[in-house]
Amino acid sequence: MSRPTKLILDTGPFRVGITSAIPQLGDTIAFFYRDAISTDRGDVLDYNIGLHRPPGLRAMVRPQVVFDVDGLRPFDPQPLENAFPVFEWGLNWCIATSAHRYMMLHAGTIAFDGQAMILPGTPGSGKSTLSAALHLSGARLLSDEFGLVRPETAELLPLPRGIPLKNASIEAILEFDPAAPLGPTYPKTRKGRVRHLRPDADSLRCQAQPAVPRWLVFPKYVAGAPEVLTPLSRLEAFRQLAFNCFNYTLLGETGFEAVDRIVRAVDCYTFTFSRLDAAVTALQALAQGRQLAIGAGGKA
Amino acid sequence: MSLLTEFLADPACIRAWRPKEWNRFLPLLREARLMTRALFLAESAGTVDAIPARIVDQMIGARAQTRYVQIQAVRELRLVLQALQHENIRVMALKGVAYQVAALPLAKWRGLSDIDLLVDRADVERAEASLLRSGWVVNGEFDDYDQRYYREWMHEVPPLRHAARETEVDLHHNLSPPVSRIRIDAAELWRGAVAAGENVGMEVSVLSDCDMLLHNAVHLFMNDELRGGLRDVMDFRDLYMHFGTGDEQFEQRLLARAEALGCGLPLYYAIDTARRLVALKPGEKMVADLSRHRPSVFTRSLMRWLIEHALAPTQTALRTTALANWLLFVRSHWIRMPKALLLRHLVRKTLKRRAPISTIQETPG
Repeated sequence: MSRPTKLILDTGPFRVGITSAIPQLGDTIAFFYRDAISTDRGDVLDYNIGLHRPPGLRAMVRPQVVFDVDGLRPFDPQPLENAFPVFEWGLNWCIATSAHRYMMLHAGTIAFDGQAMILPGTPGSGKSTLSAALHLSGARLLSDEFGLVRPETAELLPLPRGIPLKNASIEAILEFDPAAPLGPTYPKTRKGRVRHLRPDADSLRCQAQPAVPRWLVFPKYVAGAPEVLTPLSRLEAFRQLAFNCFNYTLLGETGFEAVDRIVRAVDCYTFTFSRLDAAVTALQALAQGRQLAIGAGGKA
Repeated sequence: MSLLTEFLADPACIRAWRPKEWNRFLPLLREARLMTRALFLAESAGTVDAIPARIVDQMIGARAQTRYVQIQAVRELRLVLQALQHENIRVMALKGVAYQVAALPLAKWRGLSDIDLLVDRADVERAEASLLRSGWVVNGEFDDYDQRYYREWMHEVPPLRHAARETEVDLHHNLSPPVSRIRIDAAELWRGAVAAGENVGMEVSVLSDCDMLLHNAVHLFMNDELRGGLRDVMDFRDLYMHFGTGDEQFEQRLLARAEALGCGLPLYYAIDTARRLVALKPGEKMVADLSRHRPSVFTRSLMRWLIEHALAPTQTALRTTALANWLLFVRSHWIRMPKALLLRHLVRKTLKRRAPISTIQETPG
């Protein structure tokens, strides 16, 4: 087995140390985050992550990978071939369980010239697919899983990571853009077949630049439905955004005020869609101040 | 000394730190559940500016989480008291939740994961039954042996958990097991109890100042869960300094109370440990008087080694930490169980692999 190497990943506001001797993992991380990784220069880290193969006989029969952070091992070993998804998932877990300095929206967030569109979503809403398609069409990727909000200002902090496309979404994105830079296929993860879309160099380069929320769009994929943007009342938008916030209850008053600040600053819509290209056209038009779909007006 | 205890003893030491020190410090701080405490310490020492910004952000995150669990705990306490209010059972809040209801300075930074309560021995099973009727369930699986372990040899009933809210409630009828060599007269604790209901709007009391410290000392040195015990040492120091400030008689009262309750030895260890690890500064007379509870040189050195390795590891999940924890686990039972019982219990625990041999568990933050 080769010697462990250590690299540093800057991801949004977090600096992460990654130590691993798994060669494919280093290659995959380099594929996704080339412009955000560096060698260890002795910086202060938020999380010090290790991904190692556990010793023992069982590991020889069925190779595994163990995720550890700061010397703790919060999860059972996983199949070695899933090392990269385990890393991504583990890092998300670290953030979700400790980064309560921020409000964490379960949302894809993208930016058009520094103005952000928030796409909250429960699984199956199509938020990842939609974020991916908008990003492939030129919008800056702020985040897919965590919309990080600085509560005092309601600014969105970027956290650009590989967008995990699941099952049929993979083909949908390849159909949308056959040149989409996708990483390796992971046929058997806990969430099914997964392939990640790489964020573009610009999104990684600008990951220290916050964006101002401007649009709040609740997407809903409905097979065969036309693309329709419908204005949403601020009250309902508040309720739904708070519902899609990981640490809304934990943050108490801080969370209430931050959601309120966002909802007052944005135009709120629900958006049903089925065709990715038409959906992207509609949301780009919204961002450019043109309304293609019914329900124009915006302010509710 | 680890970086963590160095900081707890003198928060100004961080001015000399470089990234290498911070990267060793943060995991220790997370594991010891002292993130929030560290932020308050640095604030009162005026050294927040010396903490790297990203670590301040991590601490602010921890503080938000601490506040949340504190609010939840007080709410949960109210619900427990409501469930018990027609049973005519007097209830005392202990440890973390007691610091909240008594509005002590610790209430600002002390996190907690369960609600510890004291009721009269005669009431404990009625209280348990009442909670079991009101939405609480037994937390975990307890076979006949475990049930007997708790009911005959321990000072608490098997832990309860609310079925929907998942919060744990531990019902005690004393601060130490009835079979233990340190036997505390619970009636005496109740005689010293202080009403503290106004902050929760319901009737509940807390231990007197001295008894609160003695409980901490007994808990720390008789408990089998020493991991993260540095937080208890800090609680001890914080309580000691709080109660001792402006009360010149406090130390003598504490010692007299310890002797009356038969807790001289745990008090000796608690003060000795807090002095060495987190710079507690007891008065000279206290130190001199306390020496009559000092164990032999051999026992003292061994305990110091064990405590230091268990409570102040220089990195997380170290093997010597695991060993020290295991030995202290054995020792905690040595104190609290008769020999024959202990042997049976340890054999059983070892066979069932439930001893805390590994220190790798739980979540960071």
